[in-house]
Formats: sequence, structure tokens, C-alpha cells
Amino acid sequence: MTLAILCRRAFSDLRQNFCAQLITTMVVSLSILIFAFFTLLYFNLQHFVDRLGAELGLVVFLSEDTPKDRIPSLYQKLTGLSEVEKVTYISSEEAFGRLEKFLKDEKEVLEGVDPRFLPPSFEIQVNRAMFQLKRIKQLAGEIDKWPEVSKVQFGQEWIDRLYVFSGLVRTIVAIIGLLLLFTAAFVVTNTIKLTVYARQEELKIIRLVGATNIFIQGPFLVEAFLQGLMGSSLALGVVFACFRFFQGIEAKSELLRGVNICFIPWQYTVAIIASSVLLCVLGTALAMRRSLRL
Amino acid sequence: MISIESSIILLKDVSKKYSTDNVVFSGIDLEIEKGEFVFLTGPSGAGKSTMLRILFCAERPTSGEVWVDGVTLSSLSNAQVPYLRRKIGVIFQDFKLLSNYTIFDNVALSLEVIGLGKKQAEQRIMQILEGVGLAGKTSHYPLQLSGGEQQRVAIARAVVNRPSIILADEPTGNLDLQRTEEVIMLMEELNARGATIIFATHDDRLFENTHRRVIRLFNGRIRI
Repeated sequence: MTLAILCRRAFSDLRQNFCAQLITTMVVSLSILIFAFFTLLYFNLQHFVDRLGAELGLVVFLSEDTPKDRIPSLYQKLTGLSEVEKVTYISSEEAFGRLEKFLKDEKEVLEGVDPRFLPPSFEIQVNRAMFQLKRIKQLAGEIDKWPEVSKVQFGQEWIDRLYVFSGLVRTIVAIIGLLLLFTAAFVVTNTIKLTVYARQEELKIIRLVGATNIFIQGPFLVEAFLQGLMGSSLALGVVFACFRFFQGIEAKSELLRGVNICFIPWQYTVAIIASSVLLCVLGTALAMRRSLRL
Repeated sequence: MISIESSIILLKDVSKKYSTDNVVFSGIDLEIEKGEFVFLTGPSGAGKSTMLRILFCAERPTSGEVWVDGVTLSSLSNAQVPYLRRKIGVIFQDFKLLSNYTIFDNVALSLEVIGLGKKQAEQRIMQILEGVGLAGKTSHYPLQLSGGEQQRVAIARAVVNRPSIILADEPTGNLDLQRTEEVIMLMEELNARGATIIFATHDDRLFENTHRRVIRLFNGRIRI
């Protein structure tokens, strides 16, 4: 049997059983749509946590007795670290100035206070490409051991909480994904079974004239391939349209500016389409097992 | 004396039973020679259809051995069955046409499965439809035709790939006398061109004045 005959039969079947094919494609599409929305949510949360962690950075407080001539060498030492992107020195006076700005109308409480009562510090921005919570913790621990350093501070507690939260979301997405996958597999297989059942007599006749299993099954597999491909592409298209819509809102909103929402990475997009195609093709092969018996 | 060499169909001690108290036939020995036209008759439920179904591998015998065109059916794997079926044209009483296919496409099915080129297939389909008098109705659907016409389409589909054996299971059961005669004539023509034909019928009138061999199935046994 040539590929041309197989494709011609598949397209002829698609035309003749358009409604059934459309229903199966919509079922696939809806399942993938829900799954893709959760995946989009998960990736944006992960992206947000990573970015927040990187932006929080480290603050290295120096001991009060650190000589001023040690500052440039400490600066050099910090900028030499591979994890460090940018280092800013904040003197005691600058820190005091920031505190005054922060207190605004209540800055009178600082009256009579020595402007050097706050320790000098280095604000470190971490290299985003190298950002990992573990590595940041490690770095903070290493810097903390330097004799001139009194304390290293970073939003560990917040980052830890966010990581636990994103881990929870990942688990939820995985569970929902699996449930949706089983539901989609069940619904798709049964929709195909119904289609096959409705065409049982036709398949019996085709078998009687000497059709091989590939002749009988081939068009169904081509149809399943197209259903998987079109269903998942449609769902991802809808998710992408929503993503662009949110991007538009983000650009216009002062509150959301800088959130930088991201789309599902292309590797995952390809994996979703491939899984959908595989699901439909395997579902069809399983649904047709009985029809291929003599 | 039964011999595999001279016969196109051979059954040796063939039995078919669905359960201990549902025995269709047992101990059947039968030989049909190449180019023969035989009538297979017997009352309803005698096992005529079952025998034909065994010959085109829709069912397997419970015991015994069957040879079709030199092939031992018991040694035939499921994957090999379609290739045997291409040598056999089957005609049914209920026509078994695909109602959502045109007449042309119904007949084309037999050629599609063997992968015949489009041009060659078209030529052969038109030739066969002309032969059965339906050349003007290629784009009609089966339900737009009369019973006799539908049976002629079924015959066209069964013979278009030039099978060496034709199994006709009560092909005239749903037809009036005139249409029945037309079908018999078509069968005679196909036989004259070399096809071996087994014509199952319970209607004695069809072979009353014939010189053809009549195989009678009765109470699960053959009476010649």
C-alpha cells in the first residue's frame, strides 16, 4: 500500500466523518488547553522566584573598626567573585541618608544620633546566570568568614518560602497534568473507539476484500496524528494569545510593569505537541486492536 | 481419491463446532477442481455459510485440514490471511456494500488494497462496471440502486481483482427471478473465463436443470 493511497483514504475519512473527528480534536484541544495554562502559570511563578532571588542580592555589613583603606581591596575581592555581577559600596553616611529618606516626616527621631552609627556595607548584585539559592547561601557563608565582615544579609527566609511555594505549585501542576493526561487518554481512546465501532461494518468489508492491517489502521493513525497535532496546536495557540493579551496589560499597568511574564519554553511546547500526537496515535492503536482480529 | 495437486480447494476430515451440542458439521472431505462451478446446497443452518467462511478464513475449523489454492490454512498466520483473500472474491446475500462510498469507490476498494495504480484501476473498474451493465451509475451510491443492481456491484467488487476463486453466499437470496437469472449468467461468464465458483444456495430451482456438480450439506454431512 502506498503512502498516497493511505493519505487519500485518511482525508476521505476525515471528510466523511467530519463531526466525529472534530469532537475528538476538541477533546484533545481542551485537555491540552487546561494543562498548558497550568504549565504557563508554573513557569511564570518559577521565573518570578528566580528573578526576585537574583534581584534581592546580598548586603555585606562591615565591622565598625574596619579601616577605610581596606575598603578598595575588599571591593576588588568581591568583584573578583564569579557569582557577583555588581558591587556598590554604601558608607555609614550614605546609609544614614537613606534612613532619613525612608523615615520622611518622622526623621526627627534621628536628631542627635551620630550619622556614623550605621555600619558601612557592600550591596552585591548576584550574577543572574549563576543564580541558585544554594550557591547564594554558600557565598554568603564564605563572605561571612572574612575578618572585616560583621554580618551578611539576604532575603533567605523569603526566597526559601517562595521556593517551597513554587515546589508546591510544581507538584500540583504535575498531579493535574497526570490526571488530565489520563482523562484525555481515556476520553480520546473512547471517542476513537466509538468512531471505530460506528465503522465496524465498513472495516469488516474492507478486511474481506483482502486489506492488510496497515491498510485498515493506517488512515485511522494518520487521522489520530492530525487530531493530536491540530488539537494541541490550537490549545497552545489560545494560550499564546492569552499570554500576548496579558503582556499588553502588563505593559500598560504601572503595578505590573517589570513582572516580565514569560511563555512556556519552546522545548516544553514541542514536548506538549509531541505527547498529544503520541497520545492520540497510541489511543487509536489500542482502540483498534479488536477491529484487526480476523 | 483426494489429492492436493489437482484441486484448488481441498477439505480433509474438517469439523466445525461452537460447543459440544452445537456441531455445524463434522468429518467433511471435499475436493473442488480448478475451474469447476459447484453448487453448495442444504437447508438453512446446514453450515453452507460456515463452510464458505472457513474457506476465506473468517473462521477456523475446529479440526481437520483445509487447502485453498495450495495453501494450508492451518499454517496461515493472521498477517498472511489478507493475501489469500485477494485470491478469493466473496459475494454475499446482503451485498455488503459501503453505503457512504460511490459505486466506483466500492469496486475500487478491491484494487486499492492490492495497491494498483490509479489509471490502471480506473480502466479495470470501468471495464467491469460495463460488463455488469452499470457503467452509467459510477457516481451513484448503493442505496440509489435496486437490489439487482446492488448485487451486480457486489459481484463487480468481488471479481475486479481477477480472483481465481469466487465464493457466492446466497447471492440471489434477495433477488427476483429475472435478477437471479442475470446473476447466474454473470457467474457462468466468470467461470468460462477460468474462475472456480462455489455457489451456496438453498434454492433447488437454481440447479435443477444444470450439469454442474451439486454438493449437499445435510445434518452436518455431505451428500453428493
